Amino acid sequence: MKLSNPLRTGNTGRVVALCGLIILLPIGYSAVRALIPQRSEVPQVFLEKPLAAFQDCVEETSYMRVHHMDLLKQLREDVIRDGIRGEVTLEQCARCHTSRERFCDRCHQAANVILDCFGCHYYPEPGSEAQGL
Amino acid sequence: MDRREFLKKGSVALAGTSGALGLPLLTSCRSQEAHADGPLAGRKWGMVIDLNKCREDCTACVDACRNENNVAYHEDQRWDIHWIRKVTIESKDTSNPIEKSVLLLCNHCENPPCAQVCPVQATYKREDGIVVVDHHRCIGCRYCMIACPYNARFFNYRENPDWPNKEFPKRSHGVAESCTFCAHLVDRGEQPACVAACASAGEGAMAFGNLDDPNSEVSRLIADRPVKRIREDWGTEPKVYYIGL
Repeated sequence: MKLSNPLRTGNTGRVVALCGLIILLPIGYSAVRALIPQRSEVPQVFLEKPLAAFQDCVEETSYMRVHHMDLLKQLREDVIRDGIRGEVTLEQCARCHTSRERFCDRCHQAANVILDCFGCHYYPEPGSEAQGL
Repeated sequence: MDRREFLKKGSVALAGTSGALGLPLLTSCRSQEAHADGPLAGRKWGMVIDLNKCREDCTACVDACRNENNVAYHEDQRWDIHWIRKVTIESKDTSNPIEKSVLLLCNHCENPPCAQVCPVQATYKREDGIVVVDHHRCIGCRYCMIACPYNARFFNYRENPDWPNKEFPKRSHGVAESCTFCAHLVDRGEQPACVAACASAGEGAMAFGNLDDPNSEVSRLIADRPVKRIREDWGTEPKVYYIGL
């Protein structure tokens, strides 16, 4: 038995329409989706603002936001290699950023950057006597 | 200029240029040397331990060290870490058997083999002679443990569950560590925890100070008393001196 060619059996129009539908479907989806207001793809991370009493960080906020790790690395070199201690301590950070969980951890989780400082260093909790080093 | 002449002069010029360009590279490799004008310059910390005054049953220094430096103690000798420890040594002479309790700790060698073998320069000697590990940089290869002739280096096989002194960091799993002469206290002008504990326990067997200062207690003890260092013949120049070893 010879198979009939679907394009020659008189339903060419239907095949072309089906192909056109398949091609246009994603375009149509995108067009419709653009019309419907969407929620932001990037989740907004809630970071605890520092206490109002302390507005002066060791550096500008814009610098700290991008380069705090460079500052920490420089401090680390100073303390361990050259014995220059006491310039900036974690205790100083904790005076304004009272919660490590609501400041450091939350942003690092959102950015998916593993934060391993606190495996060894103690982040002082409010009311605690110990000062982190 | 014939071909032979060209090759001769060319090779001399090439060697000269590469030497001149390479020299800064070579010198920058040694930039890990501490800064000569930093706060650590001009001192050389050392320790003198008087074994005649050290009681065998006293563990004040060992306990103080554990509490000050968060030294891991798992109650399992496979994983326990000892920055300072007490061992009993026996005389090889069987006709005159002498047993002695000796305190062992990092000797903070002037020529530290551990620092020489460290592939990432995590272990190094500070300007004031204290040999420390930068645990951020340590990759846990344990070369230093093999190199140290005094077995003063220990490895964190597991996480330390205790954190008695929150003001001093713990060490994470996978890094090597040893005594630091309590560098964080010494930088503040205090004595190492073991020396302070020994003094407050009434023993006074340990003295710590500046070896470069001829009037310091350690210098006077070294000058006046017969002192020994462990295996001086190795040339490591340890800075822990023993009286009555």
